[in-house]
Formats: sequence, structure tokens, C-alpha cells
Amino acid sequence: MESKYNRYILIAITVCCLALIAVTNFTDQWLAPLRTAVGYLVTPIQAGVNSVGVRIYDGVADYTKLRNALEENKQLKEQIAALTEENNRLTSEVFELARLRELYELDQDYLQYEKTAARVIANDSGDWFQVFRVDKGSADGIREGNNVLAGGGLVGIVTDVGAHYATVRSIIDDASRVSAMAVQSGDTCIVGGDLTLYREGRLTISNIQKDGDVKDGDRIVTSNISSSYLPGILIGYAKDITLDNNHLTSSGYLVPAAEFHNLREVLIITDVKETADPEVE
Amino acid sequence: MRRAIVNILLILAAFTVQNCIFPLIPVLVSTPNLLLILTFSFAFMDGRRMGMVYGLLAGILLDLFYSGPFGFYTLLYVYVGYCNGSLTRYFYEDYVTIPLVLALVNELAYNLYVYVFRFLIRGRLDFLYYFRELMVPETIFTVVTTLFMYRLLLYINRKLRDFESGRDTTLV
Repeated sequence: MESKYNRYILIAITVCCLALIAVTNFTDQWLAPLRTAVGYLVTPIQAGVNSVGVRIYDGVADYTKLRNALEENKQLKEQIAALTEENNRLTSEVFELARLRELYELDQDYLQYEKTAARVIANDSGDWFQVFRVDKGSADGIREGNNVLAGGGLVGIVTDVGAHYATVRSIIDDASRVSAMAVQSGDTCIVGGDLTLYREGRLTISNIQKDGDVKDGDRIVTSNISSSYLPGILIGYAKDITLDNNHLTSSGYLVPAAEFHNLREVLIITDVKETADPEVE
Repeated sequence: MRRAIVNILLILAAFTVQNCIFPLIPVLVSTPNLLLILTFSFAFMDGRRMGMVYGLLAGILLDLFYSGPFGFYTLLYVYVGYCNGSLTRYFYEDYVTIPLVLALVNELAYNLYVYVFRFLIRGRLDFLYYFRELMVPETIFTVVTTLFMYRLLLYINRKLRDFESGRDTTLV
């Protein structure tokens, strides 16, 4: 008798889950309050455990680093000499750059966007997905679709927001697709994540038109025509671009500008791209 | 009852550790799936009914945490709880071989499930790559972790049982 009940319960849960999967595949808006409520409970725990973990890990890391520090110190002193010289050179180049920017009206850098900093408090369990959670949410002005930056490059996009947390899908996730373009030539392309490539630190670039002129080392930025990414954010640099078998498009790899290992702090752009409003460049 | 509460707290703890601590350790090639270990261990010890309860809890936690079709993990974890709960009649304390085999089978089933429904249906056909680079390392880590975790869980289980029976006798 007991086992029969269990089977009924199992069947009931299975039906519920399948129905939920089917419904939430299209929209999961109605789940937002539930997610937020659970977020109130779980996020503080995660933030606490995370900060304790970071502290312990940093302590251990500091100890091991100490052993290398002396040798490193010697090398660094030599580097300082070299860098001082380089710095002098670069300072003069900064002035030149400022002048040139003014000249070409290229000061439309992404520095103009409103940004807020957030701490990464949890990662996806397992290696299948590159999704993480940060400790800022709708209460801090973050909305779904906000772009996320770190280390000078695009990291991902906010897919889910609670009051005090937000979930970010990084661009190296297998399901991520970013509409991009090459700065030099203006050719549009698609930058996609691929699980089989991300350990080599690469993403894919595809759909470059045949006569497009994208070369190794070209800066790839988010494109003006992207529906969810703000234009002009650096994604990375093109590599190994070759013509596809269909002789209509070329594709290759992208080395991202952001560092994805040990991501701890990120910047979230709180401006959302208004797709109805055509961008004026 | 007390046992269920302790087990639920353990599942919550495993969830946090898995998401917040493991990603901080860069030397790990892969990470053990603690939530899966707890679910099948508790199910194996406590039977189908409780196995489903723990599976439901673990699955809902994972589903709430990540956007995507809700119920994806819940469905899998409930089945993990149910199937492993069916084997509870083979549960003898200090007999570690069965849990290790269970860890292996559950972990492979879990990874296959994720691969088929989240990757294969999007046309990612290179199964061998995913098998070699993701499934095998994670399975090894999980099986090794089970070796330690299972003993710990048995110990907790025994303590709680002693505590409960002790309290019963004093009440009588």
C-alpha cells in the first residue's frame, strides 16, 4: 500500500514538473515574486558564506604567495626601472591620444554609461553552465537586460533580478549570443559562447560577410544593431578568421578582454538599451 | 522529525558550499556534486518517501536559483530520491560499496540528463568531448567525495538515532 502511494506521489510530481517546464519555457515572469522571496532567505546566507570563504582562501593564498614574494620582489624592481621609462613614453602618448580623440570625435567610449559595482557571491554548481549571481538587485537599480563588465570588457547580461540579487549569464556560456562588430572595418558578426572552447579562453565569431575585412587582433565590440547590448562595449580581439565552407561568410575565434577565472567584482551598466529609439552615433 | 530537519539543513548547507565556496578554489578541475550526494544518500537511508522530499527540496533550490525552465532540476532530483529510496532494503551500515556504485550511476545519469536536454537539443553533438572534459572529472570527484561524505552522514545518522531512542526511553 505504502509503495503504491509513493508511486502516485511520484507521478503527480512528474506531471507538475513537466507542466511547469512547458509553461516556464515561454515565460517565467510569474515566478519572480517567489524567486525574490527565496532570495531574501538565501542571498544573505550565500553572501556570508562567500565572504568567509574568500577570507579563508585569501589567507591560504597569502601564505603560499609569501614564499614567492622575495624572488618576485627582485624581478619587480627590475620591472620598475623598465616601467618608469615606459611610463614616460606613455604619458606623452596620452596627450597625443587625447588630441587625436578630440580630432576624430571618438570620445564616445562606454565611460558615459551609468554603472554600479557588485560582488559575485555564487556560481552555478557544476561545469555545464557559466552563470553567476551578484549581491545587487532591483533595489540598486538593476534591471533585467543590464550589461555586465569586468576588467575592461563585456562579461555578460542580467537574466533574472530579485530585490537584492541578480543572476548574470556570462558571454562564455554555451547559450550566449552577442551581436558584435569589428571596430576597424565596421563588419557585423555574432560572438557566441562554446563550452568546448572556453577552457582555451576562446569564444566563437561567426557570420562575418564574405567581403568583410576582419583580421587577427581586431577589436570586437558590441554592435549598434544589438537588441540587448549597448553599443561600443569591448568584447575582445579577433583571432584565426577563416572563410567558411559555404564561401558566403567567415568565422573564427575571439579572445575575450575580460578575465573569467576568479571573477569577484563586476560593474553593471544600469542603462538599458532602448531598442525603439534609434541610436544616434 | 528531528532527523528530517537536520537533513534539510545539511542540504541547504551543501547548496551554499557548492555555489559559494567551490568556485573560489581555482585548482579544482571539477567540483563534486554535493547536493546529489546528499539526496541519494538520504534517500538510500530513509526510503522512497523521504527521498522524494529531499529530492524535491534540492531540485527546487536549484530551479529557483537559476533562470530557465522551472522544474528541470526538480524532476531529476525527485527521481533520484525515488529510485535510490527503492534500494533502501539493501542499506547496511558500514557497507560502502553500494553507495559508491550509486554515486557513479547517479552522477552519470545527472550529467546525461543535462547534456541531452540542454545541449543535445541545441545541436551540440560532440558527446565525447563533453564526456571526457565534464562528465568524467565530475564523476570521479563525486565518487571520491562520497567516500568521505557517506561516512560522515552515517555518523550523523547514527548520532541522531541514538539521541532519538535515548529520548524515547527517558520518556517511557
